[in-house]
Amino acid sequence: MNASTTRMPSLSRRSLLAGVGAAVPLAALAGCGGSSSSGSDPSTTLYTWISNENDRAQWQAFVDAAKEVDPEFELTLEGPSFEDYWTKVKTRMSSNDAPSLLTTQAARAQELDALLAPLDDLAESAGIDLGQYNEAMIGGMTVDGTVRAIPYDAEPMVLFYNKALFTDADLELPGLSYTMDQFLDNASALTSGDAYGLAISAGLVHLGMSIGFANGGSPVTDGALSLTDPKIVEGLQFSFDLVTEHEVAEAPAAVDSEPAAQQALMNGDVAMYVDGPWMYQAYADALGEDLGVAIIPSESGEARGLIQGSGFGIASNAKDPEAAFASVMAITTPEVIGSVANARGTFPSIASEEQQWAEGKAEDNVAAVTALAENGAPLITTPTWNEVGSQFSQFATDGFRGNRSAEEILGEIQAAIG
Amino acid sequence: MPYLGPGMLGFAIFIVVPLVVSLVISVFDWPLFGAPEFVGLRNYQYMLDGDPAFWVSLRNTLIFAVLYTAVNLAVALGLSYWLMNLGGRWAAFFRVLFFIPVVTPMIGNALIFRLMLNDDGIVNQALAVIGIEGPQWLNVPGWAMFSLIMMSLWQGMGYNIIVLGAGIAGINPSVLEASRIDGAGPVSRFFRVVFPMLTPTIFFCTIMTVIGAFKVFAQPYALTEGGPGNATNTLVLHLYRNGFSFDRLGYASALAWVLFVLVMLITAVQFSQQKRWVTYDS
Repeated sequence: MNASTTRMPSLSRRSLLAGVGAAVPLAALAGCGGSSSSGSDPSTTLYTWISNENDRAQWQAFVDAAKEVDPEFELTLEGPSFEDYWTKVKTRMSSNDAPSLLTTQAARAQELDALLAPLDDLAESAGIDLGQYNEAMIGGMTVDGTVRAIPYDAEPMVLFYNKALFTDADLELPGLSYTMDQFLDNASALTSGDAYGLAISAGLVHLGMSIGFANGGSPVTDGALSLTDPKIVEGLQFSFDLVTEHEVAEAPAAVDSEPAAQQALMNGDVAMYVDGPWMYQAYADALGEDLGVAIIPSESGEARGLIQGSGFGIASNAKDPEAAFASVMAITTPEVIGSVANARGTFPSIASEEQQWAEGKAEDNVAAVTALAENGAPLITTPTWNEVGSQFSQFATDGFRGNRSAEEILGEIQAAIG
Repeated sequence: MPYLGPGMLGFAIFIVVPLVVSLVISVFDWPLFGAPEFVGLRNYQYMLDGDPAFWVSLRNTLIFAVLYTAVNLAVALGLSYWLMNLGGRWAAFFRVLFFIPVVTPMIGNALIFRLMLNDDGIVNQALAVIGIEGPQWLNVPGWAMFSLIMMSLWQGMGYNIIVLGAGIAGINPSVLEASRIDGAGPVSRFFRVVFPMLTPTIFFCTIMTVIGAFKVFAQPYALTEGGPGNATNTLVLHLYRNGFSFDRLGYASALAWVLFVLVMLITAVQFSQQKRWVTYDS
């Protein structure tokens, strides 16, 4: 270094700290407005629930089936767990780089009203016949007279059971007729010591609600909450009594009881559990030929399904609705829905694909699901359904411990939310 | 100004602006997605005379704050005094041991406690071994609140133990030595010498612990979901649910403001009363 070299003045510690102090908040501020995803094309990005590998495999099955038709088809999956999905979807869809595709359940379409673009005109322009999809599900996906999502399934809640445990106990396998008395007798016979006849989870739409629905009740009537419908109250009280009075099921955990209940069925620790057919493949993987499916028990013994189902919609703020709709249509063609139904066991929303779904399944299992699907109604709810579910999860523990009746719990929620 | 600027900028962006915006949002019906609607003071009116969960969650928060703060400070003070007398490597070992829960994620802790406190969890199994039928820890209102406080204490006490330990270490050893020569035993020395000299540190811990207790969220969220019923619902959990689950950002902001004012008032009262018991004489 010679004498003429200009030397930069060194930064003092204070100047450095001052500079860093200024830069950090600004960088953080810049980060707030930045992208939270990897910059995927919004029209080929689906925001959906991905709770576990089972969920991911299901969504991937749609992508794989669509790729068979168009190898260039791309769909990026993004999303939180099912429970978090309903909390996060509105904030995610408010961001600048929001995905253009999102998933909804029929039971949540009312709640996501503002997020979901009407699809009728897009379908008409594309020459799509919405009449080919399950009528009940299209009804469930209709908000303010317009269809907001294309259903890919139409799944009634069913009673999964372990055939081997029934056979070992010399019990007749439940089938297309199953009364609550028979169900209770079977549950009692399958209970011994610490081994319970069935598992129950504390969520609102499970055993109790399904039974109430099967008996003709409905938690929502003409767009308003009707939680105190006597049939719904009786159904939930019956599920409480199974634990407190009949002692054929263990009281579910206060929080997040569903995974434990599902695992109990898969491990062979319990003989019965009510769930949706979207879990069919997971249960089949665990129980193999021992997996049985029966109708939901009812007073009359006849099948009446509480149909849940989901579909794909387009964000109301999608920048290119046509491109997004093209992506939706690619994953809701009869072939794709049939393929996913075949691979994953989801009951298809298109009647012509039911055979694809039935392939490889035991005839009695197929008959039970079909009976509930053909004689069922969709769970159409209210915009406040998330609040109803949240409140019930807080109060359910009181019911399953015998501290309060279903009438008290549902009455209080009905009064609070209206 | 060059030195004050960055800090003031951060303060303005992250404290002042959010506060003002929150106040503005609180007078709107503000959905997470869609257009807000001005409603004036209706959110506050609903809170005070319409929302059945507000008063319950406020009562729960107060119960939690009082019990948690009192037990936390009493036990942390006792343990830090014990550690001072223990001294050496064992004291260092126990300080680390007590501090570990502070740095572990609350959600993880809550999940473990949930498993432990289930009806047939390890706690009740252990009690059964000695012939005691354990309660339904998470499913009976009183026991659920007790569990919540116990878990929070387990997680939060280590911080106060470290702070109070530092306070004790700052006491002039010659004063303690003099008390020993004068014949003061450990109990007498604690109440007549250590405690009075430690009051500034205890005051600091009280302020911070009360503020933390009023913000309790993760514990009821993960351990009990606010149940059974609303027995462990707290203000911040109620606020979170209204904002991010029930799509009522305006109402959640109103709740946040009430919480802010409440904490500010309680802190102000604490500061106004400190001259009665805090001594800064060394």
